[in-house]
Amino acid sequence: MQLGRRSTIALAAAAAVGARGARAATPIRLGMLHTLSPAPFYLAQQRGYFKDAGVEVEFRFFQAAQPIAAAAVAGDIDVGVTALTGGFFALAGKGELKVIGGALHEQKGFDLTAVLVSKAAYDAGLTSLDKLGGHSFGITQYGSSFHYMVGRLAEIAGFDLKSVTLRPLQGVPNMVAAVRSGQVDATMAIASMARPAEASGDAKIIGWVGDLIPYQITALFTTGRVIADRANDLHAFCKGYQRGIADYRAAFLRFDSEHKPIYDAATDAAIADISKFVFTGDPKAAEKIKAGIGWYDEGGALDVADVHRQLAWFEQEGMVKGKVDPAAIIDTGFLPTR
Amino acid sequence: MTGSAVRLALEGVGHAFGTLKVLDGVDLVAEPGEVMVLIGPSGCGKSTLLSIFGGMLAPQAGRVRMDGAVAPDCLNALTYVFQDFALLPWRSVAGNVSLVLEDSALSAAERARRVEEVLALTGLSDFAGAWPKQLSGGMRQRVGIARALAVRPAVLLMDEPLSALDAQTRGLLLDEFAEMIARAGVTTVYVTHNLAEAVRLGQQVVVLSRRPGRVREIVRIDRPLAGRHIEDADLLAIEQHLWALIRDDAALADRERVDG
Amino acid sequence: MAEVPFRGGGFAPRDIPAASVGTLVGLVLLWQAGASLHWISTKFLPAPWDIARALYALAASGELWVHLSASLQRLAIGWAVGTVAGLVVGLVVGLFTLARSPGMAVVSALFPIPKIALVPLFIIWFGIGEGSKVITLAFGVFFPTVINTVAGVDGVPRNLIRMGQSFGLGWWSIVRKIVLPGALPAILSGFRITTSTAIILLVAAEMIGAEKGIGAFVLAAGNLYDTDNLLAGIVLLSTIGLVLSWVIGRMEKLLLSWR
Repeated sequence: MQLGRRSTIALAAAAAVGARGARAATPIRLGMLHTLSPAPFYLAQQRGYFKDAGVEVEFRFFQAAQPIAAAAVAGDIDVGVTALTGGFFALAGKGELKVIGGALHEQKGFDLTAVLVSKAAYDAGLTSLDKLGGHSFGITQYGSSFHYMVGRLAEIAGFDLKSVTLRPLQGVPNMVAAVRSGQVDATMAIASMARPAEASGDAKIIGWVGDLIPYQITALFTTGRVIADRANDLHAFCKGYQRGIADYRAAFLRFDSEHKPIYDAATDAAIADISKFVFTGDPKAAEKIKAGIGWYDEGGALDVADVHRQLAWFEQEGMVKGKVDPAAIIDTGFLPTR
Repeated sequence: MTGSAVRLALEGVGHAFGTLKVLDGVDLVAEPGEVMVLIGPSGCGKSTLLSIFGGMLAPQAGRVRMDGAVAPDCLNALTYVFQDFALLPWRSVAGNVSLVLEDSALSAAERARRVEEVLALTGLSDFAGAWPKQLSGGMRQRVGIARALAVRPAVLLMDEPLSALDAQTRGLLLDEFAEMIARAGVTTVYVTHNLAEAVRLGQQVVVLSRRPGRVREIVRIDRPLAGRHIEDADLLAIEQHLWALIRDDAALADRERVDG
Repeated sequence: MAEVPFRGGGFAPRDIPAASVGTLVGLVLLWQAGASLHWISTKFLPAPWDIARALYALAASGELWVHLSASLQRLAIGWAVGTVAGLVVGLVVGLFTLARSPGMAVVSALFPIPKIALVPLFIIWFGIGEGSKVITLAFGVFFPTVINTVAGVDGVPRNLIRMGQSFGLGWWSIVRKIVLPGALPAILSGFRITTSTAIILLVAAEMIGAEKGIGAFVLAAGNLYDTDNLLAGIVLLSTIGLVLSWVIGRMEKLLLSWR
């Protein structure tokens, strides 16, 4: 069959369009915990902000923070959002990971992570943070964000970290259960888990981490390889992320003069979109989402100073080996800083 | 040597394994001090009968009776000697013999004395500390004999004790057996398929028929055990006679399927 | 006339101890060479020398002994409890009709449950202290012990038991002097399995609430991507396994010399 000139041009044009489409179709794989924390990402995905910016985003869910960092190193994901644990810094220090933006941040006056103590310990005198010395404290694992928070609390509230018996319990539900049954004196948990525990009468909240420690809890990170090969896609991804954050802040982080949150139609719409990813089909989804909301800085700004502080603490505690240059593990070219 | 004089009787004994009838209406009496030999073709139930004699198997029909005097120093009236020796591999020769004395009221010293005594009787004194795995078949069976004698049995039940040995050892042990049984004077029931053993040792030779086992004929040999030689003409004649009785049954039994 | 060729060769592999040791040593040397010559990246696979250094540092700081004693204590108690319980139940199931079918049914049903999955339950029932760790180890040791003990009891030659009965030995005498020694080879062989199982479970048992212990140490090092210490901990666990295996070998030589 002989191709006429018009059909040849049409074919060529179709091939070109197809090729460009094929390039844009390589998705950015985002690793995250399947919890409420990455809510702005859910909003961005559901409302098509990533597509608008010109990039496909695929969510990869994990059960814990550590594997997300490992997956990035192994090339199974392109970007990750998770807690900056000791293990993260160890991997970052080997030249593998780069922090490019902020996500969840502890904020003064914004109740996110509570310090929960058992009723028995409270009755025996553990009524404020400075009295934590000499007690047992439940954490997930050594080098976790909980470990860091206890360490920083020790510095600021004034007790000796070495006098605290740390009990690694692998997961927050175990930690809360251990406090409620009196097997450990204290632990930390986010509001949505801590408040019910206090309501049950088995435990008491004696303080909020955010009031004492400004803390970049989770951050957005990627690998040097991705930055080198796919900078354009990363920029598009960040644009989508920032729009998601804007919607998120509009829905949940507006406060009136009495510091009460303002909920309106934007909130309900956001809840509807978020509950497509978590609490799906749960009749109590709206309450749970409102109870577990965390603080995101505008534009996804990264608290660089705090990242430096965290790294220094882990190095000081001997959990990160070798001297890591903090500047080498942060790349501020994609998102703003605080 | 024994202080017991026990008479052992089977009355109307019958037994079946599942649907396989192995014994039918067996009446036998072993008089005190007498050697009864059970012979017959394969599968005729000789070993089953021996188990029933000693109470190790409960017959489905009939009963076993024992009467007479059991000596006070007898620790186990109905005592077996096994075809496969049944020695504990983890005990020495002396240990295997003393095993059967340990549940009694004997003191350790008395036990040791008895062990020494029976080892001497069976020519095993130099092997007291040996392990079974170090011994030949003939020696192992001597241990079995020593063990049986240690309890001063009222009845000796011997289940083809020489079958597992080679012909030369068998020949040697046969004479020792005869001597030992004659000296012990214990009521003995001896199962064998070897006709030479039967005429050498038996005073009452019971010929059993092919399965289901019935008493076919009882041949009495009233000569004392001490003077017998297997080449003696009268014994050879009896052996021929026994073989004639068994031969046809043996040929048929040989061709039978074991599962009946 | 031609010579008859030899046809009976092969099928008789011999143990050459020098080759076993030599191979392991050779592999380690090869590994070290690869790392030193930069054929193998040491970023995530430390060289043997790094592991050795990590071990030395642990020993020098005294940490090694703290972790080792915590774990060895749990191993000893957990294994002992599981073994004694397993031997008793195994004996009962092996000897009594009433216990046999119910016993084997229960064991077969519970045995395949992955003990790691039960750790959260054990925490609820026994707390986060030593109790749950010891129970996890005991649980994992119990089932193979029962199964091996029953097999051992079953394997005792019937003719020996009948011999004991024919001599009027009491029930307990027969169990003590015939059944148990006869089952001992199977039981000791089972110990090889249960000691390995216990070491494997040590990491699972120390996951919750353990500050010290080799399993906890390995987990913490893993969390922090501290590969030197991670592999050092694994080498320690492996060494414990080898030592225990050697001990059992000596026990077998001692107790089973009659074989």
